[in-house]
Amino acid sequence: MKLKSPRARFFTSIAIGAVLLFISGRVDELRSYQGAQVAIFAIAISSIVLLTGFSGQISLGHGALMAVGGYSAVLVQSHLNLPYPIAFLIGGAVGGGAGFLLGIAAARLQGPYLAGTTLALAVGIPSLANQFHILGGEQGLTFDVGTAPSWIGKDFSQYRWFFWVAVVAALLIYWLLRNLLSTRYGRRWRAVRANPTAAALAGINVGKAKVLAFTLSSTVAGLAGSLYAMLLGLVAPLAFTLTLSFTLITGAVLAGVSNLGGSIIGAVVLVAIPEISGSITSHLGGSEKVTSNLPGLIASVLLVATVLFAPNGPQWPRRKHQ
Amino acid sequence: MLVQRRTKGGIFAAALTAVATLVASALPAHAETGVSSSTIKLGITVPLTGAAAPGYNKIPAAMKAYFDYVNANGGVNGRKIQLVVKDDAYSPAQTLSVTNDLILKDKVFALVGTLGTANNEATTRLVNSHGVPRLFVNTGFSGFADMKKYPTTFPLFPSYATEAKAMGKYIADNLAGKKVALIYQDDDFGADALKGFATAGTNFVAKIPYSALSQADPSVVGKWVTSIVSAQADTVIMFGVTSATGALAGGLYKAGLIGKVQMILGSVGSDGTTLKGLLGPLAPALAGSIAASFLPSPSDATDEYVNLFKTVNTQYNPGATFDNNVLVGMNTAMLTVQALRAAGANPTRASLVKAIEAKGSTWASAAFSPILFSAKSHVGYTGYWFGKLGLDGNAVSVDGPGKYTLYTTDSGSAPVVKTAAARPAMPAKGLPNN
Repeated sequence: MKLKSPRARFFTSIAIGAVLLFISGRVDELRSYQGAQVAIFAIAISSIVLLTGFSGQISLGHGALMAVGGYSAVLVQSHLNLPYPIAFLIGGAVGGGAGFLLGIAAARLQGPYLAGTTLALAVGIPSLANQFHILGGEQGLTFDVGTAPSWIGKDFSQYRWFFWVAVVAALLIYWLLRNLLSTRYGRRWRAVRANPTAAALAGINVGKAKVLAFTLSSTVAGLAGSLYAMLLGLVAPLAFTLTLSFTLITGAVLAGVSNLGGSIIGAVVLVAIPEISGSITSHLGGSEKVTSNLPGLIASVLLVATVLFAPNGPQWPRRKHQ
Repeated sequence: MLVQRRTKGGIFAAALTAVATLVASALPAHAETGVSSSTIKLGITVPLTGAAAPGYNKIPAAMKAYFDYVNANGGVNGRKIQLVVKDDAYSPAQTLSVTNDLILKDKVFALVGTLGTANNEATTRLVNSHGVPRLFVNTGFSGFADMKKYPTTFPLFPSYATEAKAMGKYIADNLAGKKVALIYQDDDFGADALKGFATAGTNFVAKIPYSALSQADPSVVGKWVTSIVSAQADTVIMFGVTSATGALAGGLYKAGLIGKVQMILGSVGSDGTTLKGLLGPLAPALAGSIAASFLPSPSDATDEYVNLFKTVNTQYNPGATFDNNVLVGMNTAMLTVQALRAAGANPTRASLVKAIEAKGSTWASAAFSPILFSAKSHVGYTGYWFGKLGLDGNAVSVDGPGKYTLYTTDSGSAPVVKTAAARPAMPAKGLPNN
């Protein structure tokens, strides 16, 4: 039981962080990049887990909320000259604001209607960049967070620095969400997800709980979006396509949608798929058509297999007793 | 015991040092990433899947075919060229991921022909920090010629502003007094064009912006036609992608305006093969349209470059229809071979960049345009010729087959210069001997 106290979680996060940061000095640049990618995807997937797994709402438009966060971070950094950690926070806050507005509508919608609304958002929002000059059009806006501060040491590669930033953010988010989910808010969301009518009869304001969950989930997505912009070095409509939204959902399903810790597994799988398919095709040989379509095939097969055989995602045996 | 052990250790250390020295001395003095004694490894990112793939996905195979042709004839200074192809589905995030693979895992010597503006932007930081040469990027965004921001990047295609200025000059010289309407994509692509037309002093009776991809909506095309009619325009410039050209032709045809309104097409939106595919039986509606180009028409049987590339395509890329994309790919590959040859017997990334700056302007290329590479400029092609589309969808020069007048200028305020097109003669058998 002790393991579950907020303080224990805090120290666990710190320990995991220390180990990861130590490892980052021992791997090459490519692995650092992939590590940063995993951390950012884990944050984005956890926003979906929070929304779908804990409050029972669905969103096919989280890629668009990431775009809102990413563009906000880039705009405040370039126009107001704010330091980038603040830009990340503002990215999250604006994402949350967009999520709040969307959440008000979402709380009235269910199932396919909500899916449709958020899907429209995923299609529509990124193309706004082509309408307003300040958003940089098709080629987007560049985002440079610079290299690691000099006190950390010389020869600190760009990707290793991104890895540090992303890992610290991911652990912080994970710690906050874990704690939040064990408060009354978390319990209310679970009640709403399990049975909205029963939850309402028990005195829970279902609409309010849903809007709050949507807002929080969007804040996390917005933050993930601004970190994603850091990793890419730019925001552009093409970086936040429908494919991104669907990729995140794939990751969430692979993670087991109601399993916050599974977000990391989902993220690792998403990053590993192209790597694995690359080594398969390089061993077997094969045409470009096979090479370029294999990652999609692997993702689809995994998705189907997860839904069929492990709908709650990969679980540790211990969990069965709970 | 202790002493003995030390001695053993000492002998072991000495032996290790000796072996290490031997190995080190056996290695070549300066081994550059991606260059071995027998190969040079290059990388390219293009959309092979997804909505942007059709057409563009033919480019890497065409480049490979030309490299295979050169490899079969001795390669570059005895080294064979390998091209590692990665699909980015036109997503900048994926471009960065696969370019990480190309540079950090596959360890390519240089990138060549990488496609898309945002896609190239996303990899710039990586490319710059590793000093990887990025040759002949496949985009008309003029920003990539900025040598401070992109020190190792060489754009090849002329900018959209250059194209608009050339078009403005052509209209002033040949279509004076006409009532011209302009349809343009409402983003940086179109903004570049507006800037160019403003510099050229072209007057329009109507300027019609449309947002990217909205050409698929018939009501948008209906508005274009209404605007053209209400402005009483007799000439219309389409500065957009090929599908927009197709939509406009369809709209004019429905309104009975074919033959009454002269169409002028930008180079991005005038690929004959793609238009034929889009328009089907309506394709002849485009005949007589004026189109700007910098490469020769892929159907020009009198062009030595086109003929050679066709032969190479048949032999090394069987099954691929010869079109503009194949032509672009092979032309890029031919320039790449010349760049690699000029980089010296033991090429390095730095010597490759230097070689292009020093000699790139003299190399053989299919385009009817000088190349402006120098130590002070990374601007590639600078000129356009104008042709009329025939019934087969391919352009024939307005001066008659095989005769080209070139309109040369820059992206800024330089005047447009008209010259007879001249380009370096193709090296024997199309094999660079620079």
